[in-house]
Amino acid sequence: MKKRKIAVIGDPSSVMIFKAIGLDVFYEEQPAKIEHRIHYLADNGYAVIYITEKAATQVQEAIAMYATATFPAIIPIPMNSDALGLGMKQIKANVEKAVGADILFKEG
Amino acid sequence: MSGTIVKVSGPLIVAEGMGDVQMYDVVRVSEKHLIGEVIELRGDKASIQVYEETAGLGPGEPVESTGFPLSVELAPGLIEGIFDGIQRPLDVIYKQAGDRITRGISVPKLNREKKWKFNPSVSVGDKVIGGDVIGTVQETPAVLHKIMLPPGKKGTIEWVFDGEATITEPIYKIKEENGTIDEYPMLQVWPVRRSRPYLEKLAPEEPMITGQRVIDALFPIAKGGVAAVPGPFGSGKTVIQHQLAKWADADIIVYVGCGERGNEMTDVLMEFPALKDPRTGLPLMKRTVLIANTSDMPVAAREASIYTGITIAEYFRDMGYKVAIMADSTSRWAEALREMSSRLEEMPGEEGYPAYLASRLAEFYERAGIVTCIGSEGRTGAVSAIGAVSPPGGDISEPVSQATLRIVKVFWCLSAALAYRRHFPAIDWLQSYSLYSDRLRTYYNASVAPDWSALVTKTMQILQEEAELEEIVRLVGIDALGFKDRITMECARSIREDFLHQNSFDEVDTYTSLEKQYAMLKLIITWYDKALLALAQHVHLDNLIEMPIREQIGRAKYIPEKEHKVKFAELFKDLDAAFTALTEEGDLDA
Repeated sequence: MKKRKIAVIGDPSSVMIFKAIGLDVFYEEQPAKIEHRIHYLADNGYAVIYITEKAATQVQEAIAMYATATFPAIIPIPMNSDALGLGMKQIKANVEKAVGADILFKEG
Repeated sequence: MSGTIVKVSGPLIVAEGMGDVQMYDVVRVSEKHLIGEVIELRGDKASIQVYEETAGLGPGEPVESTGFPLSVELAPGLIEGIFDGIQRPLDVIYKQAGDRITRGISVPKLNREKKWKFNPSVSVGDKVIGGDVIGTVQETPAVLHKIMLPPGKKGTIEWVFDGEATITEPIYKIKEENGTIDEYPMLQVWPVRRSRPYLEKLAPEEPMITGQRVIDALFPIAKGGVAAVPGPFGSGKTVIQHQLAKWADADIIVYVGCGERGNEMTDVLMEFPALKDPRTGLPLMKRTVLIANTSDMPVAAREASIYTGITIAEYFRDMGYKVAIMADSTSRWAEALREMSSRLEEMPGEEGYPAYLASRLAEFYERAGIVTCIGSEGRTGAVSAIGAVSPPGGDISEPVSQATLRIVKVFWCLSAALAYRRHFPAIDWLQSYSLYSDRLRTYYNASVAPDWSALVTKTMQILQEEAELEEIVRLVGIDALGFKDRITMECARSIREDFLHQNSFDEVDTYTSLEKQYAMLKLIITWYDKALLALAQHVHLDNLIEMPIREQIGRAKYIPEKEHKVKFAELFKDLDAAFTALTEEGDLDA
């Protein structure tokens, strides 16, 4: 089976640390460049892309494009400064869609 | 040959002392001379369906047989005529008796006084057989009426007339093989319940072009084909029938209004003289025969109207014309059968319809077809039959719809849901079918464009995919779809709204030529293919969906036929340019 890779996109101070565990890290901060990077990574066999929440909010269209595809899984991660709660929002939206009501309201 | 009435039950009467009449003989009932037809014989008792109102009739009144079966008169004067179910001219009756048909009124079926200019096309000494053209009469500017030797006759021309004559004056004499000399007028009489003979039935290979996009592209009917249009009320059966009557590329149209509302026939009468045939430029009425038996006319005549219509259609077919007959609606006709059957106390079949419903329907539809006509010339003529069916409640599992579907090869299923969404013509693309599609593929590919059938297959595929995707969307919302599927949904919407939807009341949109249909469909599918390519090059979905060119694609149906070549070439160019711009923009981002 083809070996799949993991990438991380974001500003250097937030994502440089991932180099330590052997992931491919890309420093991008402009929306157009981030978007291009995502498409490039998707086309080049990356299975998981971690992206900082700040970067994720700038390229929602590109993320939505791969939302229903098997690969890559694009996962927003909190930055060094503060967490926007994007991941939780996404989970809530999915739960709401599945059961028809927000049952996680306490955890928000 | 006369008997006495013993029983009257609505349009059915029973008379005794009728031992020597034959099945389907026409009789005159009572002193009022109402027209009736023998439909059952038991000993010397005959059951007679009366084509007129029977109020005031009672036992003891006389019944006289004419000794002839119910027949139609075939001669110049049919075109532009409006007849009732037993070929009585309604316009003449109106002049004589006013709004309602007076009982027992006796008027000739065709005008006996009018003189027609007869041009012989045979000369003395020619050998002729039944079906051979003796001469022609220019009946209307659109129709050259060919006077043929009646089927089954044979001989040598002894004398032929040249000049003006009425339809009953002898215009030629024939010496038969045994030496007898017979003279013939233009007029032919033919029993309605017997189909007119032909030499050979052929396989339909050519479509009947209707100018209706959903029909021509997706569910075509062949010349000589049979189609049914079932649908609940209000879904546009009558409008479709009218559209076909207006625009179908047939030489002659026979429109049978059978048990439907009177104002629908009025519409036809008002509209057709004003509308122009796109091919000849002449008023559509100049090629149309109307048979009207509206819902308030006697029920028995409704039963006959279908046969009257198809016999007239066959007569024109024998001249080598392509004829289309529309029957609106066969359900009312079946109801007439049911009414007569129950009065005859026959054992009822499904839902009270007589057991012979299916065979009667088949008898009607089987008289359609493309044939080699009788006569030595080998003309090809076609009768295409299109029947509307009005199933109660729109449920096509009822007997009339089911019996019809077993016979016809094209099924245009009208859907109440589509009509409710104002999608007209409300032909459901997932339920309808045409068994002629495969046969006609060769014709379309050769005469329109080589990739016509590929295009149509792709269109159907997209529409089917849309139906599947729609279910997902209904469950979890549009967000759950991938971008490729979103493009498919958008394309399907474009096909539905920009191609399949057609406004019958718009001057341009009401008729679309095959070339324009091809260009329209090609435009939509080209957008689809290019959009998918662009998507692979990471062009934003919103940019693709909101392309301004799509609005122009939507308006393409309003491009007049005359300008379509130029305008569509421009549209294709614009489409290319728009996509190039979008992809370049995407590259700049990088």
